[in-house]
Amino acid sequence: MNEAVETIGRDLGRMFQALAGLLFVSTLIPLVWGEYYAIPALVVSGLIPFAIGYALSSRFRKATRPGKLHGMIIAALGWFCVAIFGSLPFVLIAWTVEFAPPILGEPSQTSTLAAFTNPLNALFESMSGFTGTGLTMTDNEEVLPRTLQWWRSFIEWVGGVGVIVLTTAILARPGSGSLTLYESEARSERIHPSIVSTVQTIWWIFILFTFVSILLLWVVGMPIWGAINHGMTGLATGGFSITDNSIATYDSAAIDFALLPIMLLGSIAFPVHYLILQGDLRNLYADLQTRWVFIYMGLGTALLTALVYVGDTYDSLFTAFRYGSFQFVSAATCAGFQTAVDATNVALGRWPTQAQLTVSFGMLIGGAAGSTVGGIKLIRALTLVKGIRFRISDVFYPETAVRRLRINGRRLNEQEMRQEFEEAAIITALWLIFLGIGTFVLLLLLPQGEYTLENVLFEVASAQGNVGLSAGITGPESLPTLGKIMFLFNMWIGRLEIIPVLVLLRAGFRRGGLY
Amino acid sequence: MRVSELPIVGDLLESGAEDRVFDSLLLVGPLLILVIAVAGRSALTTGLAAAYVMFFVAYVLYRGVRH
Repeated sequence: MNEAVETIGRDLGRMFQALAGLLFVSTLIPLVWGEYYAIPALVVSGLIPFAIGYALSSRFRKATRPGKLHGMIIAALGWFCVAIFGSLPFVLIAWTVEFAPPILGEPSQTSTLAAFTNPLNALFESMSGFTGTGLTMTDNEEVLPRTLQWWRSFIEWVGGVGVIVLTTAILARPGSGSLTLYESEARSERIHPSIVSTVQTIWWIFILFTFVSILLLWVVGMPIWGAINHGMTGLATGGFSITDNSIATYDSAAIDFALLPIMLLGSIAFPVHYLILQGDLRNLYADLQTRWVFIYMGLGTALLTALVYVGDTYDSLFTAFRYGSFQFVSAATCAGFQTAVDATNVALGRWPTQAQLTVSFGMLIGGAAGSTVGGIKLIRALTLVKGIRFRISDVFYPETAVRRLRINGRRLNEQEMRQEFEEAAIITALWLIFLGIGTFVLLLLLPQGEYTLENVLFEVASAQGNVGLSAGITGPESLPTLGKIMFLFNMWIGRLEIIPVLVLLRAGFRRGGLY
Repeated sequence: MRVSELPIVGDLLESGAEDRVFDSLLLVGPLLILVIAVAGRSALTTGLAAAYVMFFVAYVLYRGVRH
């Protein structure tokens, strides 16, 4: 057996076993809420990945340690497989209710839950959860069984930790942004020297912040079940909600404003959180990405507030600020919570074009690398801006001049600069190419004249940026089957920052003899 | 038996910011949420939750100032 296949198989097996553990733990929820009909579905959903995972990890237990190539393939393949297995509770619970066996209490079917009898809808929901996107195939989350409400929040929360671990401990490479996190002025090493202790500490910080988020939301008036779910998905910047109209359901300015710091916590790099918890508060302004998280959110909020106020979308400055700040932070942190909906005010899809494009731009850039956000990431955008400025000013210096580029306190030589700049440019270019392809395909698939170009661009940017805001296109009926499949791909590549997926596809095609 | 020798709890105390106050907040958090879930919203539970959040923020700032 190929050595690489053994290593990948072993690590995928461990991943599946961990997923099975999450499913088994989740059986507590139907027990607490009395949804006993959901227990067999959860147990079966857990047994399948457990059996496959156990077989893989036992068979290949002596495999060698993974290298960079393995890491990328494991991440890309693992994320996809986990999304497939994670869709089982949706399918099995939906079919359990469809059959409504008397022995399980004859639970009543709803059109929302019935949508998951289609495995593609279930896979979409699961992929959306694990990638922290938040686009949904449900039309009314409130009527979902509590078990599935929990499972949706739980997979976003776990996916949030997963992406931090991925970017800070596994895929860190020159230009990825992650290396810049460590080699900056403020610090010279990782959270901990070993990956295991780094992962433990990321979990520690994430769990502590989750408790703080839940209790903060509850204090400002959210019911406890909503606070638990929204605290988890808000910190993970996932954006799944348990209510029909997302956060707009509560129609509370206090809840809107309480969610802002929670989403911001999720969009700051976790190595920086670690230093701040140790008392090094200067990282709030000394760290380039963290400083720009605040600048970016501030400028975006001001612009969006001005656009919706001047455009007469809202009649008072406070209301414009309330919805403008929430929607920009929600978009730029890639949380995707929505307060601008038709039920309470003006839906995002009916905001002025300039305002919609401002929100789209927020989704495109995202927050800090090493956090839970999607998008291109601030560090890459800043590297591109600095690199372009460096190149242009280069013309004004003599050829013999030795110049260095400063990024986040690091002084990069010519080779390092080229590496950082190239990687940032490649990922940005790929991101825009896939955004363009997605927009083109969706325009072909959707009924002529039903949605505007900005609506389509907004929806694709939302899927690929793992944001979850919707202009109304995504839904079990409104999005065609091919559109769902394309969004699955957009969400997947967006979460893994494209390169690992392309590496996986290249490896697959080569071994498959396709080229 | 020490607290740090308990399963899960021991691992938690080994990780993180290596600060006993944060560790305590981490251990108290789920208990407080459980109390709120059982007892519901009252002046006492609201006060406890608010105190938890405010203490967390104040302690982060205190650590920063002392640093």
